Amino acid sequence: MSSAAEKAFEELKETVGRVTVDNPKMQAKNVDVFYGDKQAIFDVTCDIGKNEVIAMIGPSGCGKSTFLRCMNRMNDTIPSCRVGGDILLEGDSLYSSSVDPVMLRARVGMVFQKPNPFAKSIYDNVAYGPRIHGLANNRAELDDIVESSLQRAGLFDEVKDRLNAPGTSLSGGQQQRLCIARTIAVNPEVILMDEPCSALDPIATARIEELIDELRENYAIAIVTHSMQQAARVSQRTAYFHLGKLVEVGETKTIFTNPTHELTENYITGRFG
Amino acid sequence: MSVTNLILVTLLLTFLYFVFGRQKAFAVAKTSGGLQGMHSLPSHYGAYVAVWCALPALAIIVGWKLFEPTVIDSMLASSIPDSVHELGEKSVALYRNEINNAVDSNNIASLTDPVKQATATRLASLQNSAMLGLFVLVLCTVIALGVFALKRITPDMTARHRVESVVRSFLFISATIAILTTVGIVLSVLFESLRFFSQVNLIDFVTGLNWSPQTAIRADQVGSTGAFGAIPLFTGTLLISFIAMLVAVPFGLMSAIYLAEYATPRVRAIVKPLLEMLAGIPTVVYGVFAALTVAPLIKDIGSAVGLSVASESALAAGLVMGIMIIPFVSSLSDDVITAVPQSMRDGSFGLGATHSETIRKVVIPAALPGIVGGILLAVSRAIGETMIVVMAAGLAANLTANPLEAVTTVTVQIVTLLTGDQEFDSTKTLAAFALGLMLFVITLVLNVIALYVVRRYREQYE
Repeated sequence: MSSAAEKAFEELKETVGRVTVDNPKMQAKNVDVFYGDKQAIFDVTCDIGKNEVIAMIGPSGCGKSTFLRCMNRMNDTIPSCRVGGDILLEGDSLYSSSVDPVMLRARVGMVFQKPNPFAKSIYDNVAYGPRIHGLANNRAELDDIVESSLQRAGLFDEVKDRLNAPGTSLSGGQQQRLCIARTIAVNPEVILMDEPCSALDPIATARIEELIDELRENYAIAIVTHSMQQAARVSQRTAYFHLGKLVEVGETKTIFTNPTHELTENYITGRFG
Repeated sequence: MSVTNLILVTLLLTFLYFVFGRQKAFAVAKTSGGLQGMHSLPSHYGAYVAVWCALPALAIIVGWKLFEPTVIDSMLASSIPDSVHELGEKSVALYRNEINNAVDSNNIASLTDPVKQATATRLASLQNSAMLGLFVLVLCTVIALGVFALKRITPDMTARHRVESVVRSFLFISATIAILTTVGIVLSVLFESLRFFSQVNLIDFVTGLNWSPQTAIRADQVGSTGAFGAIPLFTGTLLISFIAMLVAVPFGLMSAIYLAEYATPRVRAIVKPLLEMLAGIPTVVYGVFAALTVAPLIKDIGSAVGLSVASESALAAGLVMGIMIIPFVSSLSDDVITAVPQSMRDGSFGLGATHSETIRKVVIPAALPGIVGGILLAVSRAIGETMIVVMAAGLAANLTANPLEAVTTVTVQIVTLLTGDQEFDSTKTLAAFALGLMLFVITLVLNVIALYVVRRYREQYE
């Protein structure tokens, strides 16, 4: 980082660009995250709109994954992690004492960096969520949920003849789509994706990106990515994180063609990161 | 002048040659364009020379000591009086023994018979000259081979690779020794068992319901038949192992789940070693605990509720054995549960599953093959366990499934058959080897299955 950029970062008091949207699904307000004594996120405020894909970009270690994991309280599973500020889902706080983080995660689903199918059959992988939440009254309903989830994830045609094969027998791209099917099977409102394509080849990546675009019709999606091309392709809005601060948020088009902040420009143009 | 001294001298020379080799390498390097021009480092050359000195010398010492007694014996034969030879092999052996003892203890004067004294003196002088010969031979070999190896140090000589291959051979030999020992044990048990089966029908042994191994030591004794039906012993073993697993599997598995999933790092750091200490308690201590504490307790409880409990019961032995085995189950299960990737747990949490749902439906199914493998290993441990059952299960070969009665196990019978005054070729003692063989086969099969299952599990994540 050049000394000028360093100075710009020091002087950064407020996120550049419009952090709010007109019809928000989720709203993060002044979020701080600490791992033990170390602060990982500094005062981040940002909305996620309905039917929108927001991309979170930034250099490694900038806190974008940490921020993502706050939005369905996955950070609760890390004992040393502490979250300050507040995050609202449909206007209700996620961190109020009346919220059950387990039930919350059924509303805010998550797809992980590495495909992580369970050591079960393809069918059981998708049926896992509906079963634990009692979404199906009988086997036929469960079959329907599994089929429609696989269909929406664009995987059904490839696996319909071998639903009883182990999930781990699929290719990497298929496994990731299986994980997406598994997530949408519990019918969440928001889907968080943490670098969902980083372990996939370009063809599988293109397939997932198409899928993300289709899923936007029904869900709000937040995606963390290291690929700026991917952010440009799939998202409507983009948030740029740097060393735990949210530097700039805006329309994806604007961010990639005409960024306001010097740091964002440096990153977009490939001067560092 | 003893072999120990000789070996020490050899090692000292070897070390000196290592130093010489190293210096020679430096000298060679100086004349041939520096250390970079040498194939190996100076210490490799030193090690190369040392190997040339030590290995042949040690081989000579071992070989010499193997053949020395035979050679000396045959040389000594002429000085053993004919009167002893006429009495036959056994007397000669006895005579030799007496003389050997006198020489070994350096006390020839204690022999009262002058003839024996003469023989002993001759033996001592033979041994002395043999030792001298060995000393000279070994020292000459070491020095000559050392000089030879030093001569071979050139910049091109691949000392590093050659030393490596010697090291590799050593490692291979070490591994082979363990395997050969196992083979030796199996063969010795197998041949003794074959002798047993030439006296008792194999089918009768495997299917017989009656175990009463009392055979007559003298021909005029009563009750000399003996019955060798192994079924009561194996049912006893199975009953006690079953009770032990009933204790060990639930407690072991649940403590493993607690340690792997719920315990904070601090609790885990304290509890896990404590739990594993159970495996370090000598089994004889468990036996005392079972026989003196648990068995009377069970008997008291039984009589309080109106059950008749034998003072030595399968239940007492099984319970205590189960506690002993808990760490085997918990430690192996803990390992496989920890090996289930965190990403799989995250996937389950991310779908809104609780911690216990995640454990029951994702973690345990994924770890199941490994857990089963661990349990099978614990079973073979239970089957082979001896001390607890010797002390707490009794000796009566009852064919029963009632855990409150006294039963006996295969291992207990092996112990009782082989302790006390026995002839080592009677049917009774040979039966111990047959039992041992069957036990070995059973645990071997269990271990093979367990290792197969565990290995398949490992492949799944690597």
